[in-house]
Amino acid sequence: MPVSRRTLLGSLGAATATGLAGCIGGGGGSDAAARVGMVYATGGLGDGSFNDQAQTGIVRAEEDLSIAYDESQPESTSDFGTLQQQYAQSSDPDYDLVCCIGFLQADALTENASQYSDQQFMIVDSVVDASNVGSYVFAEHEGSFLVGLMAGRLTTTSFSAGAGSTAGDSTNVGFVGGVESDLIKKFEAGFTAGVKYASDDVDVQTAYVGGFNKPAAGQEAAISMYDSGADIVYHAAGNTGTGVFQAAQEAGRFAIGVDRDQSVTKSSYSDVILASMVKRVDNAVYSSVEDVVNDEFQGGSVTTLGLEQNGVEAVFGQDLGGDVPQEVKDEMSTARDDIIAGEISVPTDPNQVS
Amino acid sequence: MSDADREWVDTVRQRLIALGQTSAGERVLIAASALALSVFVGTIIVFVAGLVATCRDPVLTMGGTTLCYDPFFVFDRLFLGALGDPLAGGWSPLNPQFALTLRETTVLVFTGLSVALAFRAGIFNIGTQGQLVVGGLLSALTVLWAAPLLSGGLGAVLLVPLGVTAGAVGGGAYGAIPGALKAYAEANEVITTIMLNFVAVLVTRYLVTGPFGDPNSQANQTPPLPEVGQFPSVVFDPRTDFSLFALLLAFVFVGGLYYLLAYTAFGYDLRTAGIQPTAAEYGGVDAARTIVASLTLSGAIGGVGGAVYVMMILGKFQTGVPSYGFDGITVSILAGNNPLGVVFAAALFGVLKSGSTVVAFATNVPPQLVGVLRGLIILFVAMPEFFRLVGRRLAAGQEETGAAAVGGGADD
Repeated sequence: MPVSRRTLLGSLGAATATGLAGCIGGGGGSDAAARVGMVYATGGLGDGSFNDQAQTGIVRAEEDLSIAYDESQPESTSDFGTLQQQYAQSSDPDYDLVCCIGFLQADALTENASQYSDQQFMIVDSVVDASNVGSYVFAEHEGSFLVGLMAGRLTTTSFSAGAGSTAGDSTNVGFVGGVESDLIKKFEAGFTAGVKYASDDVDVQTAYVGGFNKPAAGQEAAISMYDSGADIVYHAAGNTGTGVFQAAQEAGRFAIGVDRDQSVTKSSYSDVILASMVKRVDNAVYSSVEDVVNDEFQGGSVTTLGLEQNGVEAVFGQDLGGDVPQEVKDEMSTARDDIIAGEISVPTDPNQVS
Repeated sequence: MSDADREWVDTVRQRLIALGQTSAGERVLIAASALALSVFVGTIIVFVAGLVATCRDPVLTMGGTTLCYDPFFVFDRLFLGALGDPLAGGWSPLNPQFALTLRETTVLVFTGLSVALAFRAGIFNIGTQGQLVVGGLLSALTVLWAAPLLSGGLGAVLLVPLGVTAGAVGGGAYGAIPGALKAYAEANEVITTIMLNFVAVLVTRYLVTGPFGDPNSQANQTPPLPEVGQFPSVVFDPRTDFSLFALLLAFVFVGGLYYLLAYTAFGYDLRTAGIQPTAAEYGGVDAARTIVASLTLSGAIGGVGGAVYVMMILGKFQTGVPSYGFDGITVSILAGNNPLGVVFAAALFGVLKSGSTVVAFATNVPPQLVGVLRGLIILFVAMPEFFRLVGRRLAAGQEETGAAAVGGGADD
């Protein structure tokens, strides 16, 4: 396509967007240190997980760094490009950074990043190779390793707390994944490696239910795991995990949450949630905004947030955390230090778990 | 039933029949008043919601109470925003927001036509969504397969028509299944088409996660289509993902379908089968053949909608296709199942869809509330049309029993 026409129409588009934004006015004020546009993932705000966590980060940035932000929730994946463009085109207010939450935005962003080369973007959970995009990915396998280690230790002992207990003679734990993809496999690989690190004798049952919003399927998968002897099931399956928690309550066993401290966000299940592998999406958002405010934003860089950067962490459940034996906690914190020091290397592919 | 009750029922019946006889001008007037009424009700809802909600920067503060959303501004954004602010200076029809409106309209014209055609044959095709999904995937796969074979100028000329054809074949074949089941096994098409929607979504998801997936992407999608395999953007900014060619294609389908229904023997068979199947069969219409043919054609149009979605908007096939097919049902009802009306109904939907993104961008109104407003508008505008169709049915029924001689029974 000829470049001249694109530039002409591009400036035309920007002009209309100016007119549009001119009517909006107000809101936030022009004295803000920076102005940020948020484009969330399709689950929308109120998911108690990924998007809410991202919002926590921008709210914290608003308080600490006195920036202003606007947010948009797409209805479907075909909206991503449109919403990204709306922020990129707008010149009143002018957005210093557009945060794209979730890997599904990667394709639309790849296109928009080259079209709007003077707009800064950041993306969470995926890598977009463009000089104006900062990519933030997480070392989910590292955090999963720690909860795996905990599960492996607890299943081999007789442990009871809250509404659950483990059978001392059973050496069996489970993993329920949402969609079988490279991303979710990182959780599985880390978890399995952690379990095997605790003890080679413990078996890990795994199941992928094929969706992140299928509590019934998650419940079914978890019930069959508990029935065949699993004491603790870890899920990386979004809202599907709610079914895992239900199954844990029915079976009187334990579960491990993901993304946020689910003993808080799903507090009705806090009597079976031992811990959660928290993904600090908020830290990714916050640090990208901080970089923009300090004029240190690195376009084209890929930031991996692991245990060292507090990008992922194992957080104990608010009710059951106190019951987890101190020696298990100590072992987890030693393992954490070892992973950061590079003495333990955690695989990202379940097939590489020895 | 008491006399008073019977009288009441009779009054309602007469009113409905009278509604069925309204002229085109009256119908436009009714639709306009319904629109105005829905905006009025919506304004109240936004106002109340704005009083209840808590927000960072309220638009109005009166003592202790704050108003979070400005209802007038919301509707201003919803309608004028969707058109790219025609009242502000320097408006150009080529603005990106208007392009988005047209883009949504284009796909909805196809799905609306698909449902309308089946409706006219007396078949309730709820499966347009599935037919669109299957057509979309088949067109993406066909273009990806053919692109390396057709090089240079040949590809630019042939790939898009090839993709559209593949979409039509895929959607048509997928529509033929419930058609055959209805015609030869007396399976209710409402049930089969709904169930086949799930089959389509799950099978295509399997295909794009596994065999046909893009190995370079975490998303469940096919590899991206080459530039020549997508609808070329003319006049409009290529970034808007809108092509006038696709809109023209939609208009060609509108005209073609109008002609087919009004002026061909097949269209006549189809309409009579829709109004009175037994009489049609008595008159020599092959009922089974008509059912299969109309559902196949309906599916094919839905499939072309899928091809347009894939080749114009997304540039690949990806799971999580928006509910164009289901919106097509409402578009069709709104249009009174008339192919020409589908254009206007789809345009209203397009404005609402595109306007919602402007509202989301310009205000802090949550998308759920915008969804409520959209639903209200559609409900208000569609209901008179729905009752009009009921009135026509009633009038047709009375004619048969000879109780009253009012108007023709055919839907237009």
